[in-house]
Amino acid sequence: MSSPVEPLVCVRGLTKHFPITRGIVSQRSIGAVRAVDDVSFDIHRGETLGIVGETGCGKSTTARLIMRLLDATAGEIEFDGRDITRLRGSALKAVRREMQMIFQDPYSSLNPRKTVGSIIGEPFAIHGLLREKGERKREAQRLMGTVGLNPEHYNRYPHEFSGGQRQRIGVARSLALSPKLLIADEPVSALDVSIQAQVLNLLRELQRDLGLTLMFISHDLSVIRYMCDRVAVMRSGKIVELQDNEQLYREPRDPYTRQLLESVPGVRKIGVRSAR
Amino acid sequence: MTMGRGPDEAPLLRVEDLRVEFVSEDGAVHAVDGVSYEVRSGRTLGIVGESGSGKTVCSLTTLGLTRHQGARVSGRILFEGQDLVTLPEDELRAIRGNEIAMIFQDPLSSLHPLYRVGAQLIEAVRAHRDVSKAKARERAIELLGLVGISDPARRVDDYPYEFSGGMRQRAMIAMALANEPKLLIADEPTTALDVTVQAQILALIERLQRELGMAVVIITHDLGVAAEMADEIAVMYAGRIVETASAERLFAAPEHPYTWGLLRSIPRLDAQRAADLTPIPGTPPSLINPPSGCHFHPRCPYAQPDHARIDPALEPVPDDPSQFVACLLETQVRRRLWQQLGAGDTPEQALAAVGLPSGDEAGAPA
Repeated sequence: MSSPVEPLVCVRGLTKHFPITRGIVSQRSIGAVRAVDDVSFDIHRGETLGIVGETGCGKSTTARLIMRLLDATAGEIEFDGRDITRLRGSALKAVRREMQMIFQDPYSSLNPRKTVGSIIGEPFAIHGLLREKGERKREAQRLMGTVGLNPEHYNRYPHEFSGGQRQRIGVARSLALSPKLLIADEPVSALDVSIQAQVLNLLRELQRDLGLTLMFISHDLSVIRYMCDRVAVMRSGKIVELQDNEQLYREPRDPYTRQLLESVPGVRKIGVRSAR
Repeated sequence: MTMGRGPDEAPLLRVEDLRVEFVSEDGAVHAVDGVSYEVRSGRTLGIVGESGSGKTVCSLTTLGLTRHQGARVSGRILFEGQDLVTLPEDELRAIRGNEIAMIFQDPLSSLHPLYRVGAQLIEAVRAHRDVSKAKARERAIELLGLVGISDPARRVDDYPYEFSGGMRQRAMIAMALANEPKLLIADEPTTALDVTVQAQILALIERLQRELGMAVVIITHDLGVAAEMADEIAVMYAGRIVETASAERLFAAPEHPYTWGLLRSIPRLDAQRAADLTPIPGTPPSLINPPSGCHFHPRCPYAQPDHARIDPALEPVPDDPSQFVACLLETQVRRRLWQQLGAGDTPEQALAAVGLPSGDEAGAPA
């Protein structure tokens, strides 16, 4: 990675508390779940930042806060040099063009009643781009080619595709507007092992070829190891450790990181093969 | 095929040429297509495969749970010499949950949400033992303690929603162990769990196996889990076992190209990050119209023209009595290919090194 002058994303003191309420009418607040609790980090241009942690550690909430799908309780999010924490309306919509998300479940994140072509072309419709007839189709087909789908399948429906191919559709859609930031939230955890590798390699190639900045969220330490330049380990809404990939896996500093690494099954036994 | 040591001791479970078909609108689905394996007391067999490989249907059939889904079952499932395939339902019910128990993947949907955990454990005990409710409740508390739930006397009256994911899976294990089964079938027991909880659950199953001397069949898509738990591993593809070997052997010297594909497509913690994964090309096959010849040939980079015609049998491998493989390549060729792959070759380079035509050339019409 070239050392960038200014990070694409700066997160400072980001906090999200979900109130716990009691009573149906009064909705009295009796406490708060600290889903994300005073988190700070940068995402450099062109890098893949991994966020790893267990269920409920706040990794998806962090992604949603950056995407502005949730409003932060406190803290700041700076994107491409401007504070987006409290943007509204058309200003927010303009920023959203520049960041896109790939979701975990390729089955529920595609509208079953739309053709693949219109799913991939929808971002253009939303943002009023490529209005000329035929232009959207050409662009959607180009994107299908980019992610390894057959452009001739433009008029097919999601159910005609396998899980791995559906995830490619999701990737193509996320690339439609040439975003500066791509957030992938557990993009391969619903896929079979052999298909998982296809999608991971696709994301790695796209990142290399298009110079994407990627935030990659996963519970799987070996997937994170494969994908990321730097890794943040989250626990109970906080980042317990943020390090370069190599460093983290060689010399984890935080005891929780060590515990996570030691919990991965079969490491010692499968490791025999590569040690040879 | 034989697995495990001590050939004089009869295996607890012996599955012989099991076939399970389901009728669907599009034709018969060959979910399990001629599978044979054995498990001995105190040993663990890992069955590894991807979605639709037939690994779950195999074990559901062992418990007679595919009977009411219109499945056509043939072959034999011998449990202590009794054939479970032909056993009448009431006799099978006496074995299910008693001598053979199963843990399912999703503990939340396997527990009844409206009954207390304790009540469900008591039911499991009383289904097979003629004991009073009070005695069964004592046993339920003892079981929850055994699987590591703290303060079991209080937690026994909790509802499933009051348990965390890991605790629910512990409760499921407690239920499976209620009658000290001789065989425990664990179908993806930790897939829904976090990695630290997974480590605890796997350690728990291992400990209980040691203490109770059970045989364990663990079904998983995760080679890491299989490596951690199993003595022997069977790799399934398209309803068949394509390779089986002792766990050490399977990871040290795998012989089937599908096993290579699986091993080379998982990211590893110990590898250099730069090393690219090699995915298995294509998609899993249809079980209604499986590919001709070797079922793996359309996805196999090493397939030769005749592999589309000839269906390989699961045959022993020279040098290792534990290992069987269903592959049409010659043993020496396979071993040299694996060596080349290990040295960093791509499949094409490995093929060239052993002097075989690559997939494209081989696949071209003769």
